[in-house]
Amino acid sequence: MSEVRTESAAAAPAVAGPPPRTGAKAPGRRLASAKQSAIGWLFVLPFAVLLVAFLLLPMAYAFKISLYRSTLIEGEVFAFLDNYRQAIDDPLVRQGVVRVLIFGLIQTPVMIGIALLAALLIDAATSRFSRFFRLAAFVPYAVPVVIGTLMWGFLYSKSIGPLSWTGVNFVSGDTVLASLGNITTWQWAGYNMIVLYAALQGLPREVYESAKIDGAGQVQIALRIKTPMISSALILATLFTIMGTLQFFTEPLILQPLNPGAITQHYTPNVYAYNQAFSFQQYNYSAAISFLLGAVVFVGSYIFLFATRKRSALR
Amino acid sequence: MVACSSDSGAAPEKPSGPVTVKVWAWYPEFQSVVDLFNRTHTDIKIEWTNAGTGQDQYTKLQTALKAGKGAPDVVQLELQEIPTFQLTKHLVDLGRYGANDVKDDYVDWAWKQVSTGDHVYAIPVDAGPMAMMYRADIFAKYGLTVPKTWDEYRQQAEKLKTASGGKSFITDFGANDGGFMTGLMWQAGAQPYTYDVANPSNIGVNVNSAEAKKVIEYWEGMTGAGLADTTAFHTTDFYNGLGTEKYATYLAAGWGPGYIQANAAKSSGKWKVAPLPQWTAGANAQGDWGGSSFAVTDQAKYPDVAAKAAMEIFGAKNTEAWKIGIDKAFLFPTATPVLESDAFMKKEYDFFGGQKVNEVFVPAYKAIGPFSWSPFNSYNFSQLTTGLNQAIEKKTSWTAALDTAQANIRTYATQQGFKVQ
Repeated sequence: MSEVRTESAAAAPAVAGPPPRTGAKAPGRRLASAKQSAIGWLFVLPFAVLLVAFLLLPMAYAFKISLYRSTLIEGEVFAFLDNYRQAIDDPLVRQGVVRVLIFGLIQTPVMIGIALLAALLIDAATSRFSRFFRLAAFVPYAVPVVIGTLMWGFLYSKSIGPLSWTGVNFVSGDTVLASLGNITTWQWAGYNMIVLYAALQGLPREVYESAKIDGAGQVQIALRIKTPMISSALILATLFTIMGTLQFFTEPLILQPLNPGAITQHYTPNVYAYNQAFSFQQYNYSAAISFLLGAVVFVGSYIFLFATRKRSALR
Repeated sequence: MVACSSDSGAAPEKPSGPVTVKVWAWYPEFQSVVDLFNRTHTDIKIEWTNAGTGQDQYTKLQTALKAGKGAPDVVQLELQEIPTFQLTKHLVDLGRYGANDVKDDYVDWAWKQVSTGDHVYAIPVDAGPMAMMYRADIFAKYGLTVPKTWDEYRQQAEKLKTASGGKSFITDFGANDGGFMTGLMWQAGAQPYTYDVANPSNIGVNVNSAEAKKVIEYWEGMTGAGLADTTAFHTTDFYNGLGTEKYATYLAAGWGPGYIQANAAKSSGKWKVAPLPQWTAGANAQGDWGGSSFAVTDQAKYPDVAAKAAMEIFGAKNTEAWKIGIDKAFLFPTATPVLESDAFMKKEYDFFGGQKVNEVFVPAYKAIGPFSWSPFNSYNFSQLTTGLNQAIEKKTSWTAALDTAQANIRTYATQQGFKVQ
């Protein structure tokens, strides 16, 4: 969401041109304001250049190729919305979307719950261990996703993994979604915890004092005072989690070789789009799927923000 | 040759010093081969990059070719990938640069994999004739005999299961490698694709033929009865199984030992090689799994120089390079002068307890029948592996998975504009 806001902020002057003039303005003032706006542009310029070069132009290009259809034999033809129609009808796309939705419905509350619990505990503790725990929980986020996933791939191994005594196959069709959820939770819970912890640190301590005087225990303070007061941070963390979940990609792609029957080429919409482009040479179709996915992420985030607008402070 | 290369016309002026040729390849021990080449050539200098193995490299190559720059001059392609890159016209016809002169160095089926008529799209380097590698120690321990037919193979599997108390499997059926399954079907006489690059818009798709189904049903029975394991190939668990006593055989290709050596070294010396079991007793049907070649991309600035490099890096006369390839990298050479040399035929491998294994692999290589690949192999392999892995997950039957693959591949081919027979 924040991205979209900055984008329109950058684009606005281009559309509106110089700031609206009122006839009453003296020529000298007008000159000064023009100078001011030029300086403003100068400040925005580096960002605007990057935005156009690395976001808007590639997006425009992807949108353009999503309107064409190229085949191995007949070459490229203009297909208008055919690719989009095909993607909406494609059962494999739908399966992927349903899968990430189910994944998100379980994964998001679990991970945010763990992050919140950890943040509250560390915030309440004043011992010197709290710094250690804070760092320990954050470390997984510092590990690149690819490395983290490869590492978990070894841990899940049924012959040499430390969990092999359980006899559970962590990458079978029934368990692999949960195993992937475990990896993402491991990777991201610490990051979210830091966000929530920072919000907790910003709260005025006097509030706790008065709550204590009123007879509230630690648990009540945590649940009834601290948690509601950091709701905007909670919503922000949840929003990022939802956006990340819908674009679920790296973990399934890395774990795929362990069991391609369970983690298929169309496991998530993003994995499907990737394979369409780079394994099956269907660049156009891939672009269409990516655009549709982008739309779903946008709408999903918007719905979430709208539903929580009273608390989010992000309107 | 002079006449041929002059009509390419646009070839830019060559620099006075050695011409740099960029090569992408993932052969083991390749650095020493590159060093050797650069030491023995004053006109060409190879600049080598390992851009990943198999599909990883193809993904990068596709992107670079699509982008129009960033591709290497010479690239390692597995035999099954050649039609894919040939169809999009990204491979230089090496026939124009003298490749037909080396044709007689290769057995017929291997040369046909890289050429059509006088057009040559790659120079074969190594092949993957299949054979049965088995653990002599496990066979001795449980009193197993070396099976000659697939029926005997299953009998031994049952014997092993009982004798080991279910701890050992006769083998692992890794359904994540399309090349492995295709190799087994190739041996049974299946011809899943009918395709000729000379007539690129027609293709025959027959993935679920009776021969293919025979193979698939056999393995459905083997895995269903708990006789064969289904761990994915090339994973930690798989190599661990080869190193411990979990698997008694490995239905491998000529390059297989190199990978075991690298990943399950502790089993070295315990392996032996026997021919692949046959469907009919006394027959000599063989299949190929993998193997690769050097192709020249259309982004090569000096295609003639790149073609020369492709022909000479692992050329039939480059015995020094092949010494490295054979002794250090376990490559199975496609060039007949190399593979018929005493150095190769009579080589005793410590890994196989001193056995002269090429006495098994070389006849197998020569007995492989012709086979054609489709120009969209990645899609086919993914259909095959996804389908059979889902069958292993018991979501469908194995033959239904083949039928689904057949239907999907036909649809894909039609969508891509092919006339499908």
